This record gives sequence, C-alpha cells and structure tokens, in this order.
Amino acid sequence: MVIFMKAKECVAMILAGGQGSRLGILTKNVAKPAVPFGGKYRIIDFPLSNCTHSGIDAVGVLTQYQPLELNTYIAGGQSWDLDRGSGGVYVLPPYTSAEKGEWYKGTANAIYQNLGFISQFHPKYVVILSGDHIYKMDYNKMVKQHKKAKADATIAVIEVPWEEASRFGIMNTDEELNIVEFEEKPANPKSNLASMGVYCFSWEVLEKYLTEDENNPDSDNDFGKNIIPAMLNDGLKLVAHRFDGYWKDVGTVQSLWEANMELLDDNPGCQLNDKSWRIYSKTPVKPPHYIAPEAKLRNCYITEGCEIYGEIDHSVIFEGVTIGEGAKIEDSIIMSGATIGEGAIVYKSIIGTGVTVGKGAVVGSMDDSARDEFVNTKICSADITLLGADVTIGDGVKIAVNSMVTENMD
Amino acid sequence: MKNDMLGLIFAENPEVSMGELVGRRALAAVPFGGRYRIIDFILSNMVNSSVINVGITTPHNYQSLTDHLGTGKAWDMDRKNNGLFILAPADSSEIPEKLAGGVDTIHGIKNYLRRSQQNYVLVADCNTLCNMNFDEVFTAHLESEADVTMIYHKIPHIPERELKRHILLDADETGRIRDIHVYPAQQKTDLSYMHMFIIRKDLLIDLVDDAVAHGKHFLSKDIFLPQLNHLHFQGYEHTGVHLKIDDIKSFFNSNLSILNKETRDELFGLKNDMPIYTKVKDTVPTKYGKHAEVSNSIVADGCVIEGTVKNCILFRGVYVGKGASLENCIVMQNSQIMDNCLMENVIFDKEVVLRSGKKLIGQETYPMIIGKGTVV
Repeated sequence: MVIFMKAKECVAMILAGGQGSRLGILTKNVAKPAVPFGGKYRIIDFPLSNCTHSGIDAVGVLTQYQPLELNTYIAGGQSWDLDRGSGGVYVLPPYTSAEKGEWYKGTANAIYQNLGFISQFHPKYVVILSGDHIYKMDYNKMVKQHKKAKADATIAVIEVPWEEASRFGIMNTDEELNIVEFEEKPANPKSNLASMGVYCFSWEVLEKYLTEDENNPDSDNDFGKNIIPAMLNDGLKLVAHRFDGYWKDVGTVQSLWEANMELLDDNPGCQLNDKSWRIYSKTPVKPPHYIAPEAKLRNCYITEGCEIYGEIDHSVIFEGVTIGEGAKIEDSIIMSGATIGEGAIVYKSIIGTGVTVGKGAVVGSMDDSARDEFVNTKICSADITLLGADVTIGDGVKIAVNSMVTENMD
Repeated sequence: MKNDMLGLIFAENPEVSMGELVGRRALAAVPFGGRYRIIDFILSNMVNSSVINVGITTPHNYQSLTDHLGTGKAWDMDRKNNGLFILAPADSSEIPEKLAGGVDTIHGIKNYLRRSQQNYVLVADCNTLCNMNFDEVFTAHLESEADVTMIYHKIPHIPERELKRHILLDADETGRIRDIHVYPAQQKTDLSYMHMFIIRKDLLIDLVDDAVAHGKHFLSKDIFLPQLNHLHFQGYEHTGVHLKIDDIKSFFNSNLSILNKETRDELFGLKNDMPIYTKVKDTVPTKYGKHAEVSNSIVADGCVIEGTVKNCILFRGVYVGKGASLENCIVMQNSQIMDNCLMENVIFDKEVVLRSGKKLIGQETYPMIIGKGTVV
C-alpha cells in the first residue's frame, strides 16, 4: 500500500448519516447535520470546529442519507481549517467493493466499513462523534483522560435532570468514573449521567470489536446497543468523561427552535462569541446587512446580506433575508434567502431557506379562519409552525399554528 | 474561461490625502463598507471578469495588505499557475517617493510582467470603487484594434476645486481619444479618466522603458499625452456606480452612499452575480439588544448593539452600549462605544474605545477622525 498519510495519534469519525425524521420537512432534502442553526451555522459546524480546536486534523464524515448538500458544504474543508496536506476532512459515503457493497447498517457498521480509512493514519485513538448536537467540547481533554486511565474506551457523559434521564442512554459508574453498567432509556434510572454519543476508543480495541460485531448476524451494529455492552461484558476498562458545558440535541422541531431562541438569552448557554473557540462555518459572499429607517429591532440575531424594513422581535435571521416594510417577525427563525412580504406576520415559526411569504400573510395564526390543511402536531408541537424550503405563500394567506407546510399555498 | 489579460493594481497612489487612515496601512488596505478593504472591489471585479493572474504593487506599509490578501484564497486566486502576486517594492531608492509615479512602479515589476503568460495588461488604481465587467472592456479593446483603451466615467459638472484631481479626455465620435487634460483649470469635457487602462504587454514594457530612459515618471502625462498622435487611444465608458476615494471627505461620503439601495445593489453586484469578495473572519451574527434603535444603517456581523444608531456604517465586531447614540458615523472593526456616548459625523478607525458618557461631534463637511487603537 502506498503511504500518503503521516501517522496521526488521533482520528475523528463524525456520524452524519442520520435522517433526523423528527425534523420533518427540514430534513426532506438534507441530512440532519446539514440543518441550519444560529443565523449562519449548520449543526455539523460544531463537531468540525471542535475537532479543529482540539487539534484533531484527520476527520472522516460518514454520510448516507441525502448527502449532496452536506458534501457541497464540507467540500475541501477549508472553512474549518481542515484542508490539510496530511489528513484533513473526508466525506465517506457507503461504497461497493469486489466482494460486496452495502449501505451503512448501523453506527458501528458505518465505522467498520471505513476501518481502512482509519488505518491509513496508524492512529492510537479514534474519537467517534455524532453530528447531531450543538456543543463546544475539547475532545483532547477526553483523549488525555483516556490515556491517563489506560482505558479501552472512554464515553463522554453529561448530567441531565433526573426526570429526563429515562430518555437517554445512562451510564452507571463507580466513584472513579469506571462504567459498570450501560442502560438504554431505563424506566428507573440509577444515574443521571447520559451518554453524549461521543466516544474515544483505543484503536486496536475498536478494530477488534467492530470486526467481531460485523461477524455476528444478530447484531444491530450499533455502538450503544452492541459494541459498548459487549465491551462491558468482556470486562474491558470503560471510563466516563464528564462534560459540563452546553449540550443540546436538536433532533426535534421544538428542540431546534429552543436552541436557537436560547442564543438570544442574556447569558446564553452556548456562547458563540467566544474568540478562543470560534465556530467556523462556510461564509457566504454577502455585503453587511441593511437596516432601513422604518425597521424596528428588539433582541434578535441578524446576519450579512439581509435587508430589514419591518419589525423583528426575539428572532434569529439568517443571511440574505428580506423583511418587507410593516412585516412583523416574533419568536421565529428565518433561514437563508427567505423573503417576508410587506405587512406579513410571522409568529413562532421556522421559515425554511428560500421561502417567500406573500404580502399580508400570517404564519402561525391562532385565528379560527386560518387554513389548517398542513397542521401536523406530530412534527410541530408547542405552537411552532414550520415552512419547508423554497415554498411560496400567497398574499394574505393565513396559516394555522402547528402547521408543517410542504407545498406552495395560494 | 480565462482570458489573455493579467491585472496590475497599484496599492498606493501618491496623489491621495487620506490622513490618519493610511498612517500604518497601504491605501489599498483602507477599510470600506462594513467588511471590506478598498482593494476588494477592483480585485473582485477582475476575478469576476475571468482575470486569473493579478499583480498588486506595494511600495511600502504592506503588512496590513498582505495580512488581508494572504494567498488569495478568499478571491479563489490560490492557484498552481497564475493567481495573486504581491509585488514587493523594487529598489526605487534613487527616486523620491513623492515623485515615483506609475512608470517607476511598472518598471520595477517588469520581470513579473515578462514571466506572465498573458499578452495584455489591465492596469488600475485601487481607489476607484465600481462593479465592472473587464471582460467586456477587453473584448471592446480587441475589436477596436486600439493600442490603449482608457476607461472613463462621465461627470457633467465637476466642482472647480476638485478639477485638479481629474484627468479629462476628449474623444471623437468613434470614441478615439484626441486630447488629454491632466489636472485642468477648467472643465472642457465631461469624460473623467478612471485610472484604468488596457494595453498589450510588450507595448507597455517598451513605453515604460523609454519613459524611464528619459527620466519620466507619470503614465498619463509622460506616456499617454506624448503618444496621442502616434498610437491609437480608445475610450471606454463605464456607466453606473463609481466611487472615487482620494481624501477623508470622499471616503466618508462614499461609505455613506451605500445606504442607498440602488448604489448598494450595483456596487455589490447583487443583481448580476458579480459579488465582492473579502477575507473571511468567522464572526457571529450581529446581536441587537432589547433597547436597540437602528435606522438606515449598514451593519456587519459580530456587532452587539444596545443603543441608537442612525445613518451609520458599522464594521465587524463593533459594540454600541446602552444609551449611546450614533449618527452619520463610520465605525471600523472591533471599536467599542460605551454606554451613554454621543457621536455625530465621526470616523473611528479599528479598535477605538470611547469611554462611557463621552461626546464627539464632527461636521458633515469635515468628519472627525479617531486613529486606530485610540482610547478616548
């Protein structure tokens, strides 16, 4: 084998294949990690930027579901300083070989199929990350703890409120943070330390267990369900790494809305303005935004390329958005390139990229006369209304609260 | 498609008076429009016009410029062949700086011109901001079979005191230039030269060599004017936005002029996909606080606005505190205006701090300038 790569102590693998079906129309054409967040980011900017700041410069991004936009977004990795001569970021879709070819069957299988990618770097450690969360974390601290503890695997955990513990994968540990038991969504949790889906494995251990798991036809090929329990069963040393920063799963419309709104708090949990740990993103080529004389702004985030003529209260506005004169935006997220017509009202909504809302239209209306053909309380809870990318809403159309609009409305 | 023309940009211009703004930076690196440096405009125009080889001459003070340009990545000019070349000062120690004109500069970078693959050169000053497709100018140049194509802008009534900063052209009905008035006392024509021209590379080198041999320094006065009857000089009219920055007042007014939507849309190429590129800074979106009152202003990313802002240009990372009030101000990157300050007609260079409760009032005709890093 020709060696192009310098050896790396640590390689990161980001699981970015998930569909994120609970985000409804937002993930119809893009994978969940490519979902926009916070005015100019996408979810995957967080793990990628974390890798850069942690000094991990060999990164594989495992894609499967709707990868086009994610591929285009990551491109050569230069936005995250990951266009490296040796290492860098690689998008790794499923592939075929002479023997066989198959989709990624589970998280463990996705890594198994890319053992060849990892082994080119001759790493000592492999960090496995989910591409689904908003958090700023120094993975280097976890790797250091892993080395010091001479662990086989280290799993990042975060304290969650006891009443919510049964929604998570819970790690039961001894006083020295050795993991003694793993319970997936326990009815009666014994601990409130939840797995963050962030793992550090010693390379030989990972290689061995992934290979064994692959040979077990009954396995779901999943880290949480199969790999971790198998390691515990065999008495390997598994250690919990406590993380106490902001960590948010944005897997539902409501949690995505909340995480965006939390940025507007007086002391937000996720400090984006931290110069020592910037979140990098692909920056569009747009001039600064323009605020017109008749505009009114209160507690909001606004990005480059916007033209604001209306009123915005407690909202996050992505780049290149136009808000027409007399329009009112409240408690909402307006994604890139959307246009809100004159006099339109948008209440507690997520407006997808490139959407056009007509003049005088109302999005998120409580009025009985509002149109309810797209109401979808399974996806849109908590009075949130969601407009899918590129839909056009006609002038004066009133859309009922909790709608998930997937088509144009005249 | 790439074309057979390279770009040559002068990062300095001895004829401008930009005061404190150029104390420690090249003219080309003067910040503009919330997130740009003035060189971004001419450079982006060239990139958008399929020019893939650009040389930038930097006589002195070039650190801020090289910081900004880097390898040219932001302009997609980090290429294996061609790309962006920063042409550091040649040894011009024999010529006093004030005298050194375009002739000496081009003479100093002759090797770069010779080594380049392209056969034509677009020579341009950096301090005229516009959105122009040079591909079209180049096509017109080839079609007219002219030796030199000079780009001009029509200005019907130039105030008398400003005439001494204009070079005016006389063109016949075919567009051929018949006379050149360098810094005239009276306006006899409304064609104002934009300090951008296209010429065959070997001809440029010959003309420059000859001028140097005769102790001449200036392109318009010493090369174009004497050659008017020997070579074919053709005019090319640029219509539309044209912002010339040559003193503090024009800098101030040009910045504020992008508050006008038509000017902004055209200058930033929003309608015709001719964007202006600049160095990426990875700043967060701008946060408007609960008491912010902002009207008719351009605001870049990374600002935190708690006070009142009217008719202003705010660059990246500016902080405006509670109760502070700004009107007709240009505030550059990372400057901080603390609570209850009052500012009118003021230009803040980068990283200025205005302590709480301070008042700074300039005149519309003479804006006040506060230098980089000052704490008031």
